[in-house]
Parts: sequence; structure tokens; C-alpha cells
Amino acid sequence: MDTIIQCENITHYYGSKLIYENLSFEVARGRILGLLGKNGTGKTTIINILTGYLRPYSGVCRIFGEEMGRLSPTVKSRIGLLLEGHIQHAYFNAVQIERFYSRFFPKWKRDAYYGLLEKLRVTPEQKISTMSCGQRSQIALGLLFAQDADLLILDDFSMGLDPGYRRLFVEYLKEYVAAENKTVFLTSHIIQDMEMLIDDCIILDYGSILLHEPAEYITRCFRRFRFTSDATHCPSDNGGILRHTEKIGNRWQTCSFATAAEVEHELKKNGVIPDGLTEEKLSLEDAFIGLTGKY
Amino acid sequence: MYTSLLYKEWIKSRRAIWLLLAVFAGVGAYLLLATAKQYQADATAYWEFIVQNSDIQTGRMKYLPLAAGILLAIVQLTPEMHNRRLKLTLHLPLDESKTLCTILGFGMTTLAVLFTVTVAALLAGLRVYLSPEMVFADFISLLPWMLGGMAAYLTAAWICLEPVWKQRILNLLPGTCWVSFFYTGALPGAYVPFLPWLVALIVAGFFFPFYSTARFKHGVQ
Repeated sequence: MDTIIQCENITHYYGSKLIYENLSFEVARGRILGLLGKNGTGKTTIINILTGYLRPYSGVCRIFGEEMGRLSPTVKSRIGLLLEGHIQHAYFNAVQIERFYSRFFPKWKRDAYYGLLEKLRVTPEQKISTMSCGQRSQIALGLLFAQDADLLILDDFSMGLDPGYRRLFVEYLKEYVAAENKTVFLTSHIIQDMEMLIDDCIILDYGSILLHEPAEYITRCFRRFRFTSDATHCPSDNGGILRHTEKIGNRWQTCSFATAAEVEHELKKNGVIPDGLTEEKLSLEDAFIGLTGKY
Repeated sequence: MYTSLLYKEWIKSRRAIWLLLAVFAGVGAYLLLATAKQYQADATAYWEFIVQNSDIQTGRMKYLPLAAGILLAIVQLTPEMHNRRLKLTLHLPLDESKTLCTILGFGMTTLAVLFTVTVAALLAGLRVYLSPEMVFADFISLLPWMLGGMAAYLTAAWICLEPVWKQRILNLLPGTCWVSFFYTGALPGAYVPFLPWLVALIVAGFFFPFYSTARFKHGVQ
């Protein structure tokens, strides 16, 4: 299995604030990896490190085997980059920006770009700076399709988009990635959108990776358990079976990858006698909150 | 591919370039008309005044190249730094140093063409009313100011590409001192012995924006 992205022992600080310590992960060819994390956990930072726009305190990332910060033009031509907020050269209009980028990429697919523009009724002469965020997102997506890159790095692709444009972006991207066997590394604040797209998921906590598993495994195995109990003391997480156990009055909830029997056993071990224990399947967003907490 | 990069620079700066052309043409025409008017009023007194006062006709143009250099750097590089779009430019499949050379080369060449055309047209016009020696005095006075316009362009580029505001302000101080070398008040011809040094300063200044770009690449905040 080819490794497209490889990060080894990335440690980074902003001033004295630790962002990551010894962060390591890999992305294999053809996989779509979503990076999730609360605000300030360093999602954009890792994208900046990956693409060579931030030198970490220590550690190394490689894309297609080349070290970040020293990517060759050949490797850059294989990476499609979407900046946070669908930032593009706003002084161009839709035709000019296609003309500009087309000279740089040998596999440029002009029809893919204009096909998307036609479907979305974007006026070719309209200047990008006057477009809505939704229209800009389609320009950015069209350019990514036309570039025909082997790896797409998408930073917060849903930022600023209304639900319609978000869905449109996700559907087009999903279809394209599946058809062309592309590798994708993406971040988003809207986890429902990511859920429709991703194969694997990294959940970042402050300073480290909390979880790196297939998204399907997380939604299949991670459950929320509700019960009542007169106990007063909440068991601590301690990285054990129970995650983010909370209580309001005598109503309790906890999350876990364990089975109901294992959860019940763990609760009893911690002095909580559960009554009427029920388990619920979770969406990726609920699983994310279950793993990281609400605040 | 580099042609495409030049196309991008043209799209960003074309309005400013047309504006500069119009302003330079307007100021040039004004200077020629003013010279013609004084010449026609009393040619002998006019020449006498020029000779006795070491006067030059193009003095009103002194800071125009400086303004042109700053304006061009701003229209070319501010959009790159807005929302950190420079990432997109540096992500293009080109050698990053060559990319920056092309961007700065576009600005420097535009200024060189603008200044050369203006100076040539102005001096040709002045030659109708003035002696070759007087026109030459204008030429050697204009030369450091035009070089100063290029120095201002490179300084403004250095400041625009700098990712940290505090450092931009710090860059402004040595940048201003550097550019002021080209505008020290002096009699016509006083700069001639220093012209090679001024050119050397321009060549050295070409590398300042590379330092800012390296800081941008390293994610300095």
C-alpha cells in the first residue's frame, strides 16, 4: 500500500503554547482522511506544515516521499490545494483564472472546469472578488477537478457555505474522488459533511491525536449509553473504557467503544449502579462530541 | 508557465500601469509646455536663468518615480498577501525563487520601460528649446530619481511581502534610509560618480523581498 502523506513526530509550539507533541500519521493512496478537532487544536496548522508554509519545531512530513518545505515542482503539480475560505486570486474572472492555471498543469481538464461552471450558471466574465462564497467554492472545486491532482488537500472546505452549496460541494467531490481514485486530506467544522466523504478520521485533542480510525469503525462501534443512577460521583475518563461521563440530576450518559456489559461492569467498578442502561448508535458528530467533550 | 505568471501580474496591475502612463505623460507634457512658454516669453533671459542657477526643468518630476515604484509594488503584492494568497502562488509547480524573480522582474521591467519612454520623450521635447548641455543636465538629474523609483519598488515589495506587521514597520526605517540615498539634494551631475554604486544598491535590494518570502514560507507570525 503506497503512502502518500507521512508525518513523523511533529512537535510545534506557538510561542510557549504547545500545539502538538510527536504527532505521527500516514495517509495511504486512495484514502480520504478527515481531520477533526475543536477550535485551536491545530487543524490548519498541520495543513500549513504539510504544504510547507510552516516549519514545525521538530519532526518531518513527506508528501509523495518529498519533505515539506522542499517540494519539487513535479510533486506540487500533483497536489491540489484548497485554502480555508475558498481563497483564490480574486482579481481574475472565471475565464481568466482558468487560462492562468491551465498552463501549469500537464493533465489540465478544461472541460471539467467549464462543465461545472455551466451547471452552476456562474457567469464567465464575473470577477471572483464579486462572487458569493458559494460561487467561489465552485470555482475552486472546478479548478481542482481540472488540475486532476493525485492528492487533494482541502482546508475547512465547508467554511462560509450555506447548506445547499455544502451539499453540492460534497456530492461533486465524492463522485470525483471515487471515480478517479484520488487521495484526499481534509478538514471541516461541519462534521455531517465529512461523514459523507471520509474513509478515515483523525480526531485531534489539544497536543496530540486522540483517535485515528476508519470513520465506519467509529460510527459502528462507538456508542452512547444512558441510564439513571443515584450515585453522585462521575467516574473520570482516564483514557479508559468510559468517555465523558455526565450527569444531570439522576440521569446519566457516557460514551464508549465497549459493549453494554463491559460499560455496566466499569460503572459498577467505579461505584455507579446503572439502572435501565440503554445504548444508542451515534453519528460521527455525536461520536466526536462523545470523544472530545462539549467544551 | 512563466508567461502565465506574467499574465497574472498584468491582470493585477494593468489599471495602475495605465494610470502611471497617463500621469507620466501628463506631467511630461506639462513640463514641456511650461518650458515652451518661458522660452517663447524671453529665450535669452530663460537660458541665462538656467545657466546661472544650475536650474533643471524636470525638477517637478523628482518624486514621481518614487510614487510609481511604491504604487506598483502595492498593486502587485498586496493582493498576494491578502488572505495569504501568496500560498497559492508559491504552490504553483515552479521553482519558488524563479517565481519571485518573475514577479519582481515584471515590476522592475514595467518601471524601466515607463521611465525610459518618459525620459526619452521629455528630453527629446526639451531639446527643441534648450541646448544639449542643458538637456544633459536634466538627464543626469533624472537618472538617480528613476533608480530611486526602482529602489522604492523593491523596498515596498520587501515590506508588502513581510508576513509580520511589526517587522514591516521595522523594515520601513532602513528602507526609507536606503531610498533616500537616491534623493539627496545635489547640483545636476553631482550623482554621476556614484551611479555605479546606486545600480549596485538596486541589485542588492532585489534580494530583500526574498528574505520576506522566506519568512512567509517558514510561517513566522
